[in-house]
Amino acid sequence: MNTTVNPLRDKCAIVGVGASAQGKVPGSTAMSLVVDAFKAALDDSGLRKDDIDGILTLPGQTTPEGALNFLRVGETLGINPRFTGTMNMGGSTAGALVQQAVLAVNAGMASHVACLFGDAAATGGGKFDRAQGWGDSSSIWGYMSAAANSAITASRHMALYGTTSRQLAEIAVACRYHASLNPKAVMQKPITVEDHQASRWIVEPLHLLDCCLVSDGGVCIIVSSAERARDLKQPRVLIRGMGQAYTTQNLGTEDWWYAPHQKRAVNDAYAMAGVGPKDIQVAQLYDNFTPSVMLWLEHGGFCKPGEVGGFVENGRIQLGGELPVNTAGGNLSESFMEGWLHIVEGVNQMRGQCGARQVAGAELGLVTGRGQALNCANALVLRKG
Amino acid sequence: MSDYTKPLPTLNDENRPFWDACRAGRLSLQKCAACAHVRYPISAVCPRCLSTEFNWADMSGRGTVFSYIVFHQAYHPGFKGELPYNVALVQLEEGPRMFSNIVGTPNSEVRVGDAVQAVFDPVTPEVTIPRFRLAR
Repeated sequence: MNTTVNPLRDKCAIVGVGASAQGKVPGSTAMSLVVDAFKAALDDSGLRKDDIDGILTLPGQTTPEGALNFLRVGETLGINPRFTGTMNMGGSTAGALVQQAVLAVNAGMASHVACLFGDAAATGGGKFDRAQGWGDSSSIWGYMSAAANSAITASRHMALYGTTSRQLAEIAVACRYHASLNPKAVMQKPITVEDHQASRWIVEPLHLLDCCLVSDGGVCIIVSSAERARDLKQPRVLIRGMGQAYTTQNLGTEDWWYAPHQKRAVNDAYAMAGVGPKDIQVAQLYDNFTPSVMLWLEHGGFCKPGEVGGFVENGRIQLGGELPVNTAGGNLSESFMEGWLHIVEGVNQMRGQCGARQVAGAELGLVTGRGQALNCANALVLRKG
Repeated sequence: MSDYTKPLPTLNDENRPFWDACRAGRLSLQKCAACAHVRYPISAVCPRCLSTEFNWADMSGRGTVFSYIVFHQAYHPGFKGELPYNVALVQLEEGPRMFSNIVGTPNSEVRVGDAVQAVFDPVTPEVTIPRFRLAR
């Protein structure tokens, strides 16, 4: 048996999380939302602004590229960082930046790294790039929108394994139920499978209630060393495992629709953490559309490939079930923060600060992200310190 | 002036042979001269061996429906009048996959796994779009 332990296991902690107001925030900009989130995360951590010596940003998805470039963010926050950068991996960026922060802190290149995202997608006049197809040509045939990629996944999964729309509905229902217990969630009114079935088609086989929200909001996550975390304000939440994987080949790859790189990302995180799916007590699984959660459950090893349809039934992914998923409501019901709030919720669950939606005794959680169509994936295993 | 309002390809030296072939009723893709890998989307480099040498090779036009979706929302004004319309991911017999539309069959009667055959739809004097019909 290989007993080599990844030297980065448990060496870093998420010491501060913060979010701006979410949903519709009239008058907000990507930058104003980032500033609100940064202040909230600083307050949460007990750190002072001048302690922050690393800044990592996602530029925002509906604002011009570079809107939240590290230079602009640093200028606005009045921080001259030792370590910085801007990356866009869509919904996988949050986790990728946290992992980048871990590498920097461990290398001694920064002590406290703030990872930042903001977007005024709902009221800011920005638009997701809906008119563009993937590549230069697919829009010729009308293949457009983020929903289409997940619809392709769902359609083939249904054809191969008999997965049903009502089973996808179970994912949306679970997220909404959890959001109903989250006073900060944008959509708190519970829904049923029948509501899901009655909602209009967007891209068949996806209904409206298979789709994420469009939200204004900002989120900040601060990463420090596990040692420094001992002296800070919050209970420690350690980054025990992490992994990333990508596919670049899109249509040409046999399994593109099934995003097998997601499995590589989770398996790397499990291996680093020295845990498996049976050890995970709560999971925040990226949900731009319900089929993404379906794939994460299979790739995370919670059920066998093709068997997710039955797995999500009977409340198994709801609070009180075998594996509570997206306990704050996720992109589908809490707010579409592109996975950033998934990490915040993962941290809050480990701290035991989730109130009515707290998973009792949770000490090990999984957080996953994916983005840029199906192509980027990451996973974090978090542990109560 | 064409009254076709949907997105059209921007013809350039790299993709013109593909569209010229479509206009002549042939589906033609790049075949690597070094390793014989057939690739799509169109690219200057073979993703398998990195050779830049290739030939345009006619495909059989035969394939199967790999996945299949129906748009009920238009993300481009040109498609508004056509809702609901289908898009299929077609697995070509020669290996590559391409997005296209299934024509000649009601949306509700197309299934993943159905055999399909390329057909050619002239939409402007310059552009003929390859689509597919069920082969049964």
